[in-house]
Amino acid sequence: MEKTKLNNDMTSSAEEVPEWLLDLDKVGFVRRLFLARKWYGGDWWFVAISAVLLIFIIIVGIFPQWFAPYDPRVEVGPSLLAPGETPPSFLLITPLDSGDIRMVDIADKTNNIGFIVGSAASQAMRETVDALNESAPEGVRYQPRQKRYETLDEGLQSLANGEIDGFIVSPEELGESLQNYTSLQVANTLREEGEKGFVFGTNQIGQDVLSRIIWGTRIALIVGLSSAVVSFLIGVPLGLISGFAGGPFDRVLTLLMDSLYSFPGLILAIAIAAVLGAGIGNIIVSIAVLYIPTYYRIVRGQTLSVKKELYVEAARSLGTSWKDILIKYIFPNVIPSVVIIFSVNVGDAILTEAGLSFLGFGLPPDTPDWGIDLARGQDYVRRAWWLITYPGLMVTLVTLSFSMLGESLSEILNPRLTER
Amino acid sequence: MSNTQELMKIQDLSVEYKTRLGQVSAVDHVSFDIYKGEILGLVGESGCGKSTMGKALMRMIQPPGKITNGQIIFDGKDIMTYDQNQMRSFRGNKVSMIFQDPMTSLNPVQRVDEHVIEAIQVHEPKTKTDAALGRAEILIQKLGIQKRRMNSYPHQLSGGMRQRVMVGLGLVLNANLIIADEATTSLDVIVEAKLADQLRDVREEFGVSLLVITHNIALVAELSDRVAVMYAGHIVEIGDVEPIFDDPLHPYTKGLLDSIPTIKLNEKEELYKMPGEPPNLTHPPSGCRFHPRCPFAMPICSNQEPTLKEISPGRLVKCWLFSEHAEKADTNTEVSS
Repeated sequence: MEKTKLNNDMTSSAEEVPEWLLDLDKVGFVRRLFLARKWYGGDWWFVAISAVLLIFIIIVGIFPQWFAPYDPRVEVGPSLLAPGETPPSFLLITPLDSGDIRMVDIADKTNNIGFIVGSAASQAMRETVDALNESAPEGVRYQPRQKRYETLDEGLQSLANGEIDGFIVSPEELGESLQNYTSLQVANTLREEGEKGFVFGTNQIGQDVLSRIIWGTRIALIVGLSSAVVSFLIGVPLGLISGFAGGPFDRVLTLLMDSLYSFPGLILAIAIAAVLGAGIGNIIVSIAVLYIPTYYRIVRGQTLSVKKELYVEAARSLGTSWKDILIKYIFPNVIPSVVIIFSVNVGDAILTEAGLSFLGFGLPPDTPDWGIDLARGQDYVRRAWWLITYPGLMVTLVTLSFSMLGESLSEILNPRLTER
Repeated sequence: MSNTQELMKIQDLSVEYKTRLGQVSAVDHVSFDIYKGEILGLVGESGCGKSTMGKALMRMIQPPGKITNGQIIFDGKDIMTYDQNQMRSFRGNKVSMIFQDPMTSLNPVQRVDEHVIEAIQVHEPKTKTDAALGRAEILIQKLGIQKRRMNSYPHQLSGGMRQRVMVGLGLVLNANLIIADEATTSLDVIVEAKLADQLRDVREEFGVSLLVITHNIALVAELSDRVAVMYAGHIVEIGDVEPIFDDPLHPYTKGLLDSIPTIKLNEKEELYKMPGEPPNLTHPPSGCRFHPRCPFAMPICSNQEPTLKEISPGRLVKCWLFSEHAEKADTNTEVSS
């Protein structure tokens, strides 16, 4: 009886509440989120989530053809189709007396076909004519003259007057207005309404935005990873040797790197890219040059402090050669801080690459690339939000994943940070 | 110590540091011997050149320091003439070092076994990892570290354990001389006593010589066979532990021993404080470097430097009080009172 009471007291006492829970009450919401990383093993979650994301993105980047529904360089639908919207159908309107008439009958280059300027009808017509030309016998070429009209009424009037042979319009636009023109008829449907739309819509030249994003992943990963790897492979050894050797070599190299570092990043990349010219290799080089000083500075600084550590001296007192000291003692103690830089750099490089392409210094213009898509989409930002939203989202997502992975991994892997 | 076979003979060794204020002679023309299988304590105030001496014995003085003079003869060969490669195989193989701070003297990203294996393979590159591991395990267990600790990182070990690992690193290559540079200073007294015991066991078992550099005189009294007292870059007295502690000859040694706090001290008796400060070694005092602080200073002390003179077998003192000189007749100093 006494004992159970004691137990009850124990469980209800403050000692039973874990320390971190008490601490949690003292801090604000934002800090609580940050602290949660430690308490709940949040780093593992960060790593898991970002790793899954990155693995998916990398698979997409390696095998875009598995995921992309369309060819990213081919126009596959009407332009500027909103996400999820199905392509509208179009009707061919002809004078009543022409009877049962098809597009093929009025697609000669002597024929005139009208449509409302700025509507998707022109594209529908072009597609139909292209289809006709493909199945046409040798030597026959369909190329009807196009007539653009400001309003529907203008077009229908000129059709009724016999100035043109046909008029293409969507059912929605046509509405009931055909009732006013008794001499006109709906001859046939030029294009059926599409059954399936485009998940992320289409861009201004009718390419599928989703497919372009998926193929763009490949470019982004190639440029981001290889430029980060190149600058890692150059910057880290340079920093190690420079910090370890010291002397005039170190001073000259530091001066060089600092002068590189003092340039605003994107401007330097633009300068290099402009000198080297377009092409993916040149982009990689220009971005890599940009990040070499980052690695160099971090690694050199760390090397300077690590080489003065007692364990390096202890290693020397055991007769370890300087190569071994560099590889086994200094490098492993320097690398944790570089890993963060690396993953953040991959994200940053993707961003820079997008920036370069955005400014037109990057890749050939038909390349499916996020930066190019963003650059082109900005002209249509008021009409078509999806052109810049999705590529922008992808850039954000990939950059975020890389930084998250790097930072959390370094938090976990660094044995010095492990709690005892 | 009956065994007086020399392991290392230091002759006329000088180490200087270049500073903006001028040359600092941290070790100034020092000569002494280290015998096989002995524990030699090297005591002195902070900044008197003890650690510099320890490093100099392995030629590990880094710029701006430099060994400017002298010979270090080990097994009949002068290691000052060794080139880089010979020096590398000398370090660790023949002489190894235990450092002051066990917290930072092991590579934080290497496990204990990796440390030991590396130490073995640096000098015996042909040794298979398994064989090296086997050797390491036996040794580490002898030093009282559990086998499962082999997989631990340094930060998972206690300070005493780390020092034992460092001792192990020195022993695994059968080094003949282990230099313990303030190895016990940062440990608490109990761990320190344990490590001292272990160092003695190690000496007994492996027959290595130990040079224990410390300012802890009690430890030296407990641990050492012989003791060398250093002051301002000079060795002022050297000899077997007991005679020196029972009857210190050099005034500095006396002062040093009187400065040790003891529990017996009552309130009336104050702890002896040596007057003055250790000299600035950029401009060391002329003559005997201790004369400005010496209660028995004579005119000659400020003019001429005394030599390290053998008073009795194995007992050397560097003081005019025990040397023949012109003014000897004039002085009436009572030597050992």
